Amino acid sequence: MVIDFNTLYDLPKDMDRFFTGLLQSSGLGQRKTGYPLINVSETADSYVVDVCLPGVPAEELEITLAARSLIIKGERKAPEGRYYRQERSAGSFQRIISLNVPVERDSVTAKSENGIVRVTLPKSEEIKPRRISIG
Amino acid sequence: MNSRNETNATMVTPATDILERKDGFHIFMDMPGVAASALSIDLEENELTIRAESSYAPASDSQNRHAAPEFASPVYQRVFTLSDLVDKEKIKATLKDGVLDLFLPKAEEMKPRRISISTGS
Repeated sequence: MVIDFNTLYDLPKDMDRFFTGLLQSSGLGQRKTGYPLINVSETADSYVVDVCLPGVPAEELEITLAARSLIIKGERKAPEGRYYRQERSAGSFQRIISLNVPVERDSVTAKSENGIVRVTLPKSEEIKPRRISIG
Repeated sequence: MNSRNETNATMVTPATDILERKDGFHIFMDMPGVAASALSIDLEENELTIRAESSYAPASDSQNRHAAPEFASPVYQRVFTLSDLVDKEKIKATLKDGVLDLFLPKAEEMKPRRISISTGS
């Protein structure tokens, strides 16, 4: 009987695989920065934060506007049953997005559509560009 | 995992849970940004193909973004091979909050049945 120890003790290769796994992009090809995934964009009169939250109903989600940050908090429940495969993450999550720009705090709105929550933060009047007339 | 398709949208394999309950199997798939009209489920022989296009669009073009985008609007696609345990006529699909729930009931003759014992006296 011949035992090939190489297949048993292939540590360098395993290490390599481990680190490649860490570096490799996950999900949609971007570096995973946190959960939930967010997109921040800006329009002429507001900042828009899109939060990717499939399977989280609005009542399970808590969006808080703190002094200088937007807090997204909630829980994603795993369906019950005998699992054959589990790829979808479940559990509590929280993500804090710091806002270093003044926004109209009273007119911030959130809308959920197809598992993506769009938070619209209107820009504060004081930071909107204004044309100065020359007297 | 990611590849390009003919329409140039990124093709993504959706995260999937497969589980068994008493009445049958459930397949849950994360498809954020997908509306029911953009979802197609095709059954051919034993192959169940799910394809969905995300209609998500950021509020503005990329030039105005403050941070690198973390998610996009891909095309989700996944193919499953069904076993004979499944009653193919009664497959039900529900799309809610960006999650597709496929219910595959067990075929009637495959359900566990208790066999009564008659005692001969």
